[in-house]
Amino acid sequence: PAALPPAPLGFTDVNLNSRNTYEVSRRRSAPEHLPHGGTAPAEPASPPQEPAERARHRVGIAGAGSSFAEFFTRNFFTKKTKELKPAVQSAPGWKLFGKVPPRENLPKDSKIIQQEYEARTGRMYKPPPPSARRKNIEFEPLSTTALILEDRPANLPAKSVEEALRHRQEYDEMVAEAKKREIKEAHKRKKIMRERFKQEENIASAMVIWVNEILPNWEGMRATRRVRELWWQGLPPSVRGKVWSLAVGNELNITPELYEIFLSRAKERWKSFSETSSENDTEDAGASVADREASLELIKLDISRTFPSLYIFQKGGPYHDLLHSVLGAYTCYRPDVGYVQGMSFIAAVLILNLEEADAFIAFANLLNKPCQLAFFRVDHSMMLKYFAAFEVFFEENLPKLFLHFKSYSLTPDIYLIDWIFTLYSKSLPLDLACRVWDVFCRDGEEFLFRTGLGILRLYEDILLQMDFIHIAQFLTKLPEDITSEKLFSCIAAIQMQNSNKKWAQVFASLMKDNKEGDKNHSPAPKS
Amino acid sequence: MQKHNQKEHLYKLLVIGDLGVGKTSIIKRYVHQNFSPHYRATIGVDFALKVLNWDAETVVRLQLWDIAGQERFGNMTRVYYREAMGAFIVFDVTRPATFEAVTKWKEDLDSKLILPNGKPVPAVLLANKCDQGIDVLMNNGIKMDQFCKENGFVGWFETSAKENININEASRCLVKHIIASESDPVQSVEPDIIKPHLNSSKIVSCSACFKS
Repeated sequence: PAALPPAPLGFTDVNLNSRNTYEVSRRRSAPEHLPHGGTAPAEPASPPQEPAERARHRVGIAGAGSSFAEFFTRNFFTKKTKELKPAVQSAPGWKLFGKVPPRENLPKDSKIIQQEYEARTGRMYKPPPPSARRKNIEFEPLSTTALILEDRPANLPAKSVEEALRHRQEYDEMVAEAKKREIKEAHKRKKIMRERFKQEENIASAMVIWVNEILPNWEGMRATRRVRELWWQGLPPSVRGKVWSLAVGNELNITPELYEIFLSRAKERWKSFSETSSENDTEDAGASVADREASLELIKLDISRTFPSLYIFQKGGPYHDLLHSVLGAYTCYRPDVGYVQGMSFIAAVLILNLEEADAFIAFANLLNKPCQLAFFRVDHSMMLKYFAAFEVFFEENLPKLFLHFKSYSLTPDIYLIDWIFTLYSKSLPLDLACRVWDVFCRDGEEFLFRTGLGILRLYEDILLQMDFIHIAQFLTKLPEDITSEKLFSCIAAIQMQNSNKKWAQVFASLMKDNKEGDKNHSPAPKS
Repeated sequence: MQKHNQKEHLYKLLVIGDLGVGKTSIIKRYVHQNFSPHYRATIGVDFALKVLNWDAETVVRLQLWDIAGQERFGNMTRVYYREAMGAFIVFDVTRPATFEAVTKWKEDLDSKLILPNGKPVPAVLLANKCDQGIDVLMNNGIKMDQFCKENGFVGWFETSAKENININEASRCLVKHIIASESDPVQSVEPDIIKPHLNSSKIVSCSACFKS
């Protein structure tokens, strides 16, 4: 689910009037190939004497772009095309089947060339009628079939024989190379598919075990070695929410009815809030009311900035109101904590895996854990204890990197705050974050810090080469291609033992240390 | 690649202001030359690096610290201010409350950060989202100048990350003042003693900025 591309989000800011639709859809489906998408289609139909390099570049375009993105852009833009009259003028000389709207002044001989090409390669390509093409969203032109050698337009002097021959040869080479690449990619795809099938089989068999054996005997089995090992492998998505709920527990004894009560209270507040703020700025309101209202306002601002690439939490998206409800109810349930940035990500992940009331129950109980409470109350001195404990294990596990960071005074608050506040849901791909949550539910807060060390271990070699700003940039925006196999093998290699002391013991002794000299704990300045 | 006589400056700049005013968008526009209406909320701090060829002899590297806007984080983000050389304080022209918070941000900054010469760090005020058609400020340019003088900003700019308005200009203004403040001789060795004329003289020298 995390792999959804942001493509459908982009279309609102594309100025359709100023660009032809072909260009827009091409830009959207292969943005990495066309950083300056505005120039290419505006060129006059270029004869094939353009440098081979450039042409190859365009070959790439045809095959690139995920089918998902294409689905959206095509469906969206085909609809739009009808409404927008502006002429679709020139198209590039290298034509891409199925994507290029008919050119207005097509050179007369291009059809002939196409026929020649088809005859030569022995394959007949009949473009499907436009309506069928629109429905068939899986149609993906292959670069070898999508590239056509065209002659110069009739209004330009014809090529010399040698030149034509040379271009023909260059063209053949390009096609051959593209074909080779396609075959290689097909093999790669096949391999990935095989792995995915295997993975799916594993998930399916694990699901049976979870549903039939473990969940019915939860309390008796949850701590057994077998279950713990299966748990480490990652929970099947279908039981994930259930296991999270059970593991987080409901110490607070929240019922769905209680959730409804707090939700309706939140809704009342929103109503009165929008009424008062429309009259005038509430200057006379008490500070606490203003605070709470501010916190409701913040929720509104943050919801659409939660997993924006998934689209579902944006205004008008299917989960927008749900996220609003869960967060609003929480601020009424725990006014002492209120809304704190980062919460929206946690609530969102829960909403993706649980029913509304269950998501709220898990959310409230999760935030009631000591580590989460310390962070979300922004209890700075407690946070520093967590960072200190983290550094003990950092030094133990990755001494070289620890010193490297130290030499730049690069402290954990630079990167850990984001990781801990959002439980990695913002910094890791969503499916991987869910796997981290799985084991976090099994092992508790310790696993959050172990995951952090796992990330540092995974990228240790790269990080050792970097200076302060590059490390900081890297860790606050991790590579998107991080895989769960690699990360989890690095996490597994992290020892949460420091001279026979475990995480909890290290943390407890740090707490004791600072009890004596605890005076620089000043309360947060209030406005 | 570097010439022998080329000087390189490294400046840490803070970008602060209320939640959702567009701090991340401004930085992305400035550093990556793009804009998306769909940035995720910043938790803690994010980073960016911008390299400027200031003049023939000078390269300026700007370390931009994009700091989470929720007021609650104030205590936590204090550590991020350390050793910063300048700051952008951003507000959203469509939300008056974010402008009201500007003085709070400025006071917060000045209370946590003093240059080695005892002066406050140069700060530029950014009135962001000026593309949204609200030109309250445009008509209040004089008032804004006055506001900046009173609150010790070295300049202010109407900016739009979306339309790429004034961001480079604002940055040049801030860097100019940082360079100037660096070449300033250390005036006060006793930072405890407040010299009121220090502030006023500073502002006079910067008024050119207000017009840019």
